[in-house]
Amino acid sequence: MGKRDTARSSGPAPQLSPVLFAGFALRPLPLALLQPILGVAVRAIHQRHPDIFERLADLDGPVYLVDPVDLPFRFELVPDPDRPSLRALAEDEDVMPTATIRGSLLTLIDLLEGRIDGDALFFSRDLVIEGDTEAVVALRNAVDGAEVDVAADVLARLGPLATPAGLALAGARALFSRAAADLETLRSAVIAPALRRTESHEAAIRGLEEKLASARPTRRARTGGP
Amino acid sequence: MTTTPAPEPLELVCPAGTPAALRAAVDAGADSVYLGFRDETNARNFPGLNFNRRELADGIAYAHQRGAKVLVAINTFPKAGNPGPWHRAVDDAADLGADAVILADIGLADYAARTHPDLRRHLSVQASASNAEAIRFYHSAFGIKRVVLPRVLTVAEIASLNSRIPVETEIFVFGGLCVMAEGRCALSSYVTGLSPNKDGACSPASHVHYEEQGDTLVTRLGDVTVNRFASGEPAGYPTLCKGRYVTAGRASYLFEEPTSLSVVTMLPELARAGVRALKIEGRQRGRAYVAAVVAAFRKAVDAVARGEPVSVDGLAALTEGGRETAGAYEKTWR
Repeated sequence: MGKRDTARSSGPAPQLSPVLFAGFALRPLPLALLQPILGVAVRAIHQRHPDIFERLADLDGPVYLVDPVDLPFRFELVPDPDRPSLRALAEDEDVMPTATIRGSLLTLIDLLEGRIDGDALFFSRDLVIEGDTEAVVALRNAVDGAEVDVAADVLARLGPLATPAGLALAGARALFSRAAADLETLRSAVIAPALRRTESHEAAIRGLEEKLASARPTRRARTGGP
Repeated sequence: MTTTPAPEPLELVCPAGTPAALRAAVDAGADSVYLGFRDETNARNFPGLNFNRRELADGIAYAHQRGAKVLVAINTFPKAGNPGPWHRAVDDAADLGADAVILADIGLADYAARTHPDLRRHLSVQASASNAEAIRFYHSAFGIKRVVLPRVLTVAEIASLNSRIPVETEIFVFGGLCVMAEGRCALSSYVTGLSPNKDGACSPASHVHYEEQGDTLVTRLGDVTVNRFASGEPAGYPTLCKGRYVTAGRASYLFEEPTSLSVVTMLPELARAGVRALKIEGRQRGRAYVAAVVAAFRKAVDAVARGEPVSVDGLAALTEGGRETAGAYEKTWR
């Protein structure tokens, strides 16, 4: 186990997205309502992608805190090879994870499903990791190699309900895309005045830098090696 | 009437850390995929990464069905008194039908040449063979067919070398960079006690610590603070060679800045220099990286073959520190 993690102290700021609003809407609901869905999801992934758990077998029982910064709760993942579990935790619930992985929900899902490169996310600071780096790297590699598709994995477990559930999911995705586009329009409209001011300031700074450079005496060019 | 045979097209050699990455590389147009076993016999011995024997067999089948080759990197140096894992890696690569092994150690090259004479042998960048005499020795002594050149040569030097050696050359064209002492660097060993050249991991994750201090990201390897990234500043790998250290009261990159090699626009020049194969670094990267970089280079290599101009975009986001360099190929510092 790693150090105590009681609440978010750092990490990327939440983005204006439908996930953020969904989080506000979910805040009053008890987390226990989420548990059956999480249970189905982790069992589906365990059944369809045993390689993930096999790749983590060398680690000493890691516990991961997966923290979507745009939701009012976090997840505790225990990738036990026989009985893995995924549990929703309140923001202020006291946990002792081996490692914490923090980012927006969509970023974390993209990472889980291999649509985005974990190192690139780390370079751009869109992903924050804390605690046991070896455990995080192992999880990242195990998940990336598994070709997880959360929706397909869960639907595969629903038997005759898979078709109607798939249609409902497609509808929800379309709704989400529309909401995301609308929010992007809203965001652009809100930040436009600030953006214009910033661009104006940048142009002024560039002008001052050019004036300063032309006022300086020319320095002798370097001729040496690195 | 005689005609000059068309030069062989450049071979695109792509990384795979997992079976999914192998499939992504092949599907995106890799001519060859290089990979390693899940142990210390290869230089990307990272947790959760690499192939077991069954996965290698499946990967070779997948690649061969689609006309791609699989090259197995066994490119660390066997530990004294325990060559077994390295010998088994060579034996298993041969038995499973790998198209070549990529070796660095002289003893292992000798073992492979004697035990599996029909198995094609490439010389890893870890062998650091950068002159004609060394490369001719590897060729005559161990039947090496291709050398992966250390990232220390200019394009003109590569062209000159190619005219004096009897083997193919493969060069890195994209991805992470080392400080030009491949196979000989002991920085990480000094701090962690684990050798990249024997244990297979530079800056092993077990010794890496990330800490968010307010908006500042602090990276440490063992007890050494490697870097402090301010808010919004692109981060880099926690390798000592890319650390920012304070000397004379000023923090600066003493060895190398966090930046990635990217020479896609130099491909026509590299082809004219006689290079046979182009290597993309990044077995430790995700399959999204593999798919994006391989697709971009497939397009570029095909453009070179048609004599068309090369362009590329969309790769900057995948580079370390968000920056690119042509490295030693241009040696602008000279």
